[in-house]
Amino acid sequence: MLTCKQVSKALAENRYYELSWRKRVALFTHIRLCKVCGKANQFIVDLQTGVQKYLKREEEEHFTEVTLTDEERQRIREKITSSK
Amino acid sequence: MQEEISNGPETWLDDHGDYLLQFAYVRLRNRAAAEDALQETFLAAMKAFERYDGKTPVRYWLRGILRHKVVDYIRKASREVAVDDTENTEILDSFRFKALGIHDQNPPDWKFDPQNAFERKEFMKVFYHCLSKLNDNMGQAFALRELEGLSTEEICKQLKLTPNNLWVILHRARKQLKSCLEVNWTEGDGVNEC
Repeated sequence: MLTCKQVSKALAENRYYELSWRKRVALFTHIRLCKVCGKANQFIVDLQTGVQKYLKREEEEHFTEVTLTDEERQRIREKITSSK
Repeated sequence: MQEEISNGPETWLDDHGDYLLQFAYVRLRNRAAAEDALQETFLAAMKAFERYDGKTPVRYWLRGILRHKVVDYIRKASREVAVDDTENTEILDSFRFKALGIHDQNPPDWKFDPQNAFERKEFMKVFYHCLSKLNDNMGQAFALRELEGLSTEEICKQLKLTPNNLWVILHRARKQLKSCLEVNWTEGDGVNEC
């Protein structure tokens, strides 16, 4: 049986896929039975899902929340030109 | 693809500048640093352009170079920023952490349905805003772990942290992100304030 500490560490490191199937079964059994670890796991999974959705949007380039100002664009252009 | 190659470095800034700035900004959370990273990326890309084979679109090739610049910047910044470790030390020394590896009580329930919100375009703007507002060491660790997918060993090496410290910092980053999302997002109404 895994302890809460072992479960918490495995979840925090998101490395449970590296565990043997026996330990993985033990991990998910623990998460199902232990309210504290179950909630902690769900919290991490929720945020990781959000990050994956964000990265997908970033990849699809649907998304321009910040844009270069004219000054920034000019500074970068000058730097590029001067290095040629 | 050939068209992209023939466009050459002079068009990169106009074609990809905004995309790359956004990529750098959410990871560095600092406008000047993002601009520097962008500048260094273009300069490095110009030097390496002869070796660019056109198999990857220019934008993603540039993004690959930028990714390295971002990790370099985070590594350097982590050495320059003095981090107040008091709270981390308290958590690491606490009975609950030593015995159970748990920092506090159950994380409270979300104030909105996250799975539903993640599907909404407006929510992703709030998500971007909150990611870019994470505090220095939390933002650095979270960017390397969740956005760049680095392992615990790599992050600890880059940021000179112990695994337990990283563990606590990531936990605090997730809590801060959650509370920012809850302040800035209301189910149904969407964005509160950004």
